Amino acid sequence: MKTSKSKELNKKSKEKQKNILEMLKSHGAKIYDDLDNGQFPKFSIPSRSVSNIVYDKKLRQYILGNNSALRSAKNSAQLRSFTQLMWLAFFANRLTQEKKSSTLRDVYYSSQAFAVEFEDQSESDNIIVDLEAVTSKPREDFHIFPEERSSIFGDLDIEYTIPGYEGKTMNLSNHPDGYSIGPSLTTCDLVGTSAEIVIAVEKGGLFTRFVEEQIDKKFKSIIINTGGQAPRSTRTLLKRLHDEMGLPVIILTDGDVYGEHIAMVIKSGSANAAHLRELTVPDAKWVGVWATDIEKYKLPTIPMTEFDIKRCYDLQKDPRYQEGIWKKELDVFLKLKRKAELEAFSKYGLTNITDKYLPQKLELAKSL
Amino acid sequence: MSSIKEKFNQISPSEFFYSNRDLAGFSNPTRSLYTAVREFVENSLDACDQKGILPDVHLTIKAVDPEKPDPKPYILTVKDNGPGVDSKYVPLAFGTILYGSKFGLKQARGMFGLGATMAILYGQITTNKPVIVKSSRDGKIQDEFELLLDIQKNKPIIVKHKTKEISKSGLSVSICLEGDYSKAGTKIRDYVYETSLITPYATITFDDPKGQKFHHPRFVKNIPSPPTIIRPHPHGIDVERIRRMIVESLFEIPNIDDTMIEKVRKDLGLSKKNLSFTAIMEKARKKGKSLPCQTRVVIALMSFLKMDFEKLNKIRIEDIDVPNKKLFYWDFGDSQSKSVDMDSESQYYNLLTHTVQGEPLTTFLTKRFQRVGPTTAVKFAKFAKFKPEKRMGTMTNQELVKLSNSLQTFEDFMAPDSNCLAPLGAEPLEKGIKKFFNPDFTAVVQRPASAYSGFPFIIEMGIAYGGEIKSGGPHVYRFANRIPLLYDEGSDVVLKVVNDADWGRYKVKGEPPFVIVSHICSTRIPYKTAGKENVADRPEIERELRLALQLLSRKLAAYMSKRGQAEMAKKRSNLYAKYIPMIAEFCTELAGKKKEPDYKKILEEVNPIEPKKIVEEEKPIENK
Repeated sequence: MKTSKSKELNKKSKEKQKNILEMLKSHGAKIYDDLDNGQFPKFSIPSRSVSNIVYDKKLRQYILGNNSALRSAKNSAQLRSFTQLMWLAFFANRLTQEKKSSTLRDVYYSSQAFAVEFEDQSESDNIIVDLEAVTSKPREDFHIFPEERSSIFGDLDIEYTIPGYEGKTMNLSNHPDGYSIGPSLTTCDLVGTSAEIVIAVEKGGLFTRFVEEQIDKKFKSIIINTGGQAPRSTRTLLKRLHDEMGLPVIILTDGDVYGEHIAMVIKSGSANAAHLRELTVPDAKWVGVWATDIEKYKLPTIPMTEFDIKRCYDLQKDPRYQEGIWKKELDVFLKLKRKAELEAFSKYGLTNITDKYLPQKLELAKSL
Repeated sequence: MSSIKEKFNQISPSEFFYSNRDLAGFSNPTRSLYTAVREFVENSLDACDQKGILPDVHLTIKAVDPEKPDPKPYILTVKDNGPGVDSKYVPLAFGTILYGSKFGLKQARGMFGLGATMAILYGQITTNKPVIVKSSRDGKIQDEFELLLDIQKNKPIIVKHKTKEISKSGLSVSICLEGDYSKAGTKIRDYVYETSLITPYATITFDDPKGQKFHHPRFVKNIPSPPTIIRPHPHGIDVERIRRMIVESLFEIPNIDDTMIEKVRKDLGLSKKNLSFTAIMEKARKKGKSLPCQTRVVIALMSFLKMDFEKLNKIRIEDIDVPNKKLFYWDFGDSQSKSVDMDSESQYYNLLTHTVQGEPLTTFLTKRFQRVGPTTAVKFAKFAKFKPEKRMGTMTNQELVKLSNSLQTFEDFMAPDSNCLAPLGAEPLEKGIKKFFNPDFTAVVQRPASAYSGFPFIIEMGIAYGGEIKSGGPHVYRFANRIPLLYDEGSDVVLKVVNDADWGRYKVKGEPPFVIVSHICSTRIPYKTAGKENVADRPEIERELRLALQLLSRKLAAYMSKRGQAEMAKKRSNLYAKYIPMIAEFCTELAGKKKEPDYKKILEEVNPIEPKKIVEEEKPIENK
């Protein structure tokens, strides 16, 4: 039973790879034909300028508007970036075919083997975003990954798809430090789980506590450490756990404006990634630490800095913060002008957060 | 107590220059060798210019003993194809300080020929060898002199003189002097090189002590029209100059000798006849003003002396004392001075006093100065508060100062005559710049004549860019009256104007391959020092230089923007050539093809129209 499902999943992942390669090939073929016909190759690329980033209420995330720019090899000012993008597509094609993964930094250095110049890594990073925008696919699909810093723990069976591990399975509760979410976990097939919920926490410290306190078993959950703002690989995994395994996602962050926004980005994406649509978990729920919790649980606080306050005002203009708890909690933060970290619960004992707070919030989440 | 008697001695010009030789550029062996070369070459060129001869100048410097270390004696010889110097004048011209033919007011390289004799003097005091002058005026007989200067007496000593038959006219001067060629060599070669640039109609050859030959053949066949000698402009005058002019202008009392008497007799038609005093007077009264001026003066004298020709022959006029109305003369017969009273009622009285007192102010102005007409002269007299008929001979010292100041400040005089100037001309200058620098771009301008302090001047300027010009410009080549100025450029007015220019505005950036040639022509170049190396910043000259430079800079800017466009096109074409093949390579693999697409067509499309020419223009930038 399990094997057949695994085969089916394997097929699905192969399908995905084939689609990516097909898409890259069609882009390449178009450029090839232009050149062969004595024409300057060109393609259009959605504009990522601020004026073209709009909030889609239906999708519940930021998306790019209809504006697009033409990038042409005839324009000498664009020639360099045109070539860089062509190289990246060429490089991504090789990576995908050979199922090799690479990091953003790798990409920057790999370019030099082909005499493609990048001034610095930020230039190559920018071209990677261009490729995402043109193809509407996240870079992870092209086997380009950021540095890893987030991790996962819980009863989840996976089957690797990366070369050398194909077909190998693993249960993610075997190692108490958790598993870092890298290329292999982002691309693996999700085989099965006994968990009923995914708990994403902002901090490594709390993640370790949760593992120690066997939150995975007590609450039948998969625990994920986002390591601050969740990397895109982690967001991809969260989305897959929600979409493919049908697990609800709840998010636990520090009690400040940044924590609130970490939750928001998991839920509805960021303006920076407005060109991508497979990174959000719109049903994810932010359960704490809320501003209202600070008083309710009498948490020790520290004052907000001027920068914190400015961030609050900025977010007030964001369409996603116009209603519900998002608006309410933001207003309270501004009123209190104080913030509380997850560790603040330790004032009432190390396990206070797992014994008292978490169960209450899990209960609450059901009604959110 | 002993008293020391101070001795006052008059020193000769030779002695003066002997003790002040650094004033004229003979301060050390390096500088002296260079200055000597200059003086002789410039004299040769000036001589040829004056006679309209296309100059052929041959300069040779040879070490007396090549093995000796510098400084050491060198033999410097300059030979030309000019008119030569009359053998009568050779000893004076080459053996006397301040003897020369260049005292008139016109543009010439040197002013008085002083420098050449200075060089000879310097050679003599450092090596004690005579100067050898070979001169031929007719191209048949050549006079060869060996001369030494008697420094104290400022007189030539002829050591040797011989003549021989030759086939070419010209002058050759050879001196032996202490010099330092190892240090002066660069400057001398630069001097020869730059002189041939500004004298394109001359062939200049230089054989240096190391056996190297530098040959600069003429590349222009037409000699520029020679300048004419002109009278001074009132603005350029001073008291001393006026005083000298008055002395020159006085109608002198003629020397009454046999010839003079003979002439007067002839004018009166009395060559053969001897008439009495009264008869002579009667005859003269009848002829009246038809007689020449000098004759009438003699008649006037006779009328007061009451003498006939025979008696006149035995006296000499000593003085005419106008205020006391007395006429003094020396009687040879009695061997004593005598005097007669002059009757102021006599018709001859005014004639005689006017002769002594000189010409009226207005006549003085119109006759002695350039471009002053009778109307202007009268206007000036009113301005200076002089009577127009005021006699020049009666001016007191104070009045002379007043006159001089007024001449300099009166604004209604016409601008100085520029006929005395001999600019090179825009065309030969451009030709020279093109030949010497082989640039991509050249522009020249000759400004209209202008004047400072009564001295006319003309600015000629050329600008060149790119080609074989070295980067690190602007390289400024300064010339004045066809002389290259090589020393002390930091304090020169041309440099000041060039440095003031905002080259960025003219699209000239970085260290451009860029040359500026500036030529100032004037009857008097306002040099800052006697060494003739840098020009002082007179506002009038500075202004003209600025205008010339601005005009040329604008032309350069127009060229630079065209060049910039071509470079841009080239750059773009390079970009395509670099990136399109890369795009082709990547998309071939991406599209899963084996063969690369045919992208040559679009590369041809973006290539600039004249790729070859632009490649040529690109060269100098790499050329460092």
